[in-house]
Amino acid sequence: MGFEIDYLAIAPELILVATIVMVLVLDFVLPRRAKYFTAIASVLGVTFAALPLLILAVDGGSREMFDGSYTVDTFALVLKGLFIVAGYLVLLMSVSYIEGDRYYQGEYYFLILCSILGSLVMASSRDLIVLFIGLELTTAPLFMLAGWRKGDMKSNEASLKYYILGVLSTALMLFGMSLVFGLTGEVSFDGIREGIGDAAAGDASTALGLAVLLIIVGFGFKVSAVPFHFWAPDTYEGAPTPVTAYLSVNSKAAGFVGMLILMYLALPGASNYWAPALWIMAAASMTIGNLAALRQQNIVRLLAYSSIAQAGFMLVPFAAAAVSGTDLSEAFSATVVYLVIYSIMNLGAFAVVIAGARKTGTGDIDGWAGLGSYDARLGVLAAVFFFSLAGIPPLAGWFAKFVMFRSVMIAGGVSTVALAVIAAVNSVIAFYYYARVVKSIWLDGAPATALGDRADTPAGSLRLALIIAGVLTVLVGIYPTLASVFGDASRVLAAG
Amino acid sequence: MVELIVFALMAAASLAGGVTVIRARNPVYSAMGLLATLFSMAVLYVLQLAHFVAAVQVIVYAGAVMTLFLFVIMLIGVDKDENTAETIPHQRRLAMAIGLIAIGLGTALVARGRFSWVPLVDTPASAAETNGTVQALAEPMFTDWVLAFEATALLLTVAAAGAIALASTRKPIISRVPSSPAVSPSRRAERGVGGSGQEGRGGHPVLPPAAGDTRAGS
Repeated sequence: MGFEIDYLAIAPELILVATIVMVLVLDFVLPRRAKYFTAIASVLGVTFAALPLLILAVDGGSREMFDGSYTVDTFALVLKGLFIVAGYLVLLMSVSYIEGDRYYQGEYYFLILCSILGSLVMASSRDLIVLFIGLELTTAPLFMLAGWRKGDMKSNEASLKYYILGVLSTALMLFGMSLVFGLTGEVSFDGIREGIGDAAAGDASTALGLAVLLIIVGFGFKVSAVPFHFWAPDTYEGAPTPVTAYLSVNSKAAGFVGMLILMYLALPGASNYWAPALWIMAAASMTIGNLAALRQQNIVRLLAYSSIAQAGFMLVPFAAAAVSGTDLSEAFSATVVYLVIYSIMNLGAFAVVIAGARKTGTGDIDGWAGLGSYDARLGVLAAVFFFSLAGIPPLAGWFAKFVMFRSVMIAGGVSTVALAVIAAVNSVIAFYYYARVVKSIWLDGAPATALGDRADTPAGSLRLALIIAGVLTVLVGIYPTLASVFGDASRVLAAG
Repeated sequence: MVELIVFALMAAASLAGGVTVIRARNPVYSAMGLLATLFSMAVLYVLQLAHFVAAVQVIVYAGAVMTLFLFVIMLIGVDKDENTAETIPHQRRLAMAIGLIAIGLGTALVARGRFSWVPLVDTPASAAETNGTVQALAEPMFTDWVLAFEATALLLTVAAAGAIALASTRKPIISRVPSSPAVSPSRRAERGVGGSGQEGRGGHPVLPPAAGDTRAGS
């Protein structure tokens, strides 16, 4: 039993933990008017946490700890990079929002940082226990953050719905995991993969199917895939907008990563159970998410349904490859590329929503009419992010859609093509409601009461978030190889 | 033989505690009855050589949870009369039926021969052979699983810090004006943070994103 800790490999986590402790202490000692130092400390801490990632990436290779239950390989590094960048953007969006409304700042950043740490732990987890704790560390702070606007009934509703459904799904997932442990006697992914063959062949196959489905229910909730999406619109709407952005990106990405590594590394032997389930979830999420989004008037609810639909798109490659029984590694890299691109453009869209809601004073799409005429820069950014979400070519979104369809075409087969057709139809539907926002901003006339004269530019931190997301969205759209690097990195997992 | 006597004593004590919980008129007595049950359960665990579980039972249940119970009882007030009216229809008859079913199932289990009494544990040859000892638990927990263990510790901190932040009312929360056509957005914005004195540093009005909400399908 080699008990050694590779401190470089867990340096990002350690730096985050140090930041978390520092934020708690700062919050305690600082006078109330100086609380924004906790925000500065968190942003700096997350920035420093990215440095060891670069060192590790240059160094290459795979580092294992704790009998392989914690692995830092290129795949984990890519995802950790994604979680840190997305968390960084969310922190930037939060600064002025949280300070402007005088919420509890120190605790807010503490909880966000804990959630980021949880997703970092999860990206490296290679056994059920670490995976579960990482996932819970990611979600548990969000139960409270969703209700951060304590005086607002909608925020209370958001928190309560998320909490109750979250606890239920966690319980179901834990039950599924305990069944897997009971059937194989192993918690490590490698052990489960080897033991699952016997379980699937014997008379325990029903229990195995039940276990796999229960686990999928749990993860389906985390990624808000249909039919486990009912919490999403209300929670997204009621939660503070930066928290919503975090929910729709980091928390969703963490759920995806957890589900995919578990299915791919531990349960490939049970794919006859989870492949059809993922197929149905993908088709239903795309269709229902998009159809419901068509009817939304509130921009946050629109993005909520759009993120449900996007979850469906992200499920497509994996479901297609698993159903047709082809090699999963291509699907794996397609999903990771989609996830990375989606995260950046969706965060950008939410940053636009925060800035736009301030500018126009409403979250109503019709209320944004003519925004482009009195704030051209914000209008352009809105067009960039929403068209990118729709998948219009010069922007990053098209490449995400492209790798998705390519992986489906590689897989082949009747049910796969059916899924591709559903995805294609849905891409067109999605274009309608994304374009409606842009139309409202650019083509509709500004109302007479437009607030064009209000000299209300976004705070510096929010502007920085908008710039980073905007530049990345355009850059990846023009040089898609930037994103496919992530996909190649995730193939390492397939080889190892 | 000693074990049998201890078992009988502690089993009886835990049953007596359970009856006290139900029968006592004073809620504090009920809590004390629960305490007796929890303690005698802890002794039963020791009897089964599960020392760690026994310690946890005393610390967590008999210690922390009981303190919590007593806090709640004291806060609500012991002397207050409680409304003991039964609101669920046929409550007693239902409870009786469920009890009978449970007894029937237990009898069937014994009668069908699928059930056997576990013999009392003999004195083990060495403590290392047993599974529930503190050492056997501590070693993996602080070596192989130290990361998960520390992450769990953080998870508890999250719960504590978040609960305090959500529950405490350090300052009055600025009430939000519900969106109505009579109030223009700019007016609402001014009311939202007006007078907070923070306009200089990013004191931007934040409007509820809920404005103009239409709910489809819910």
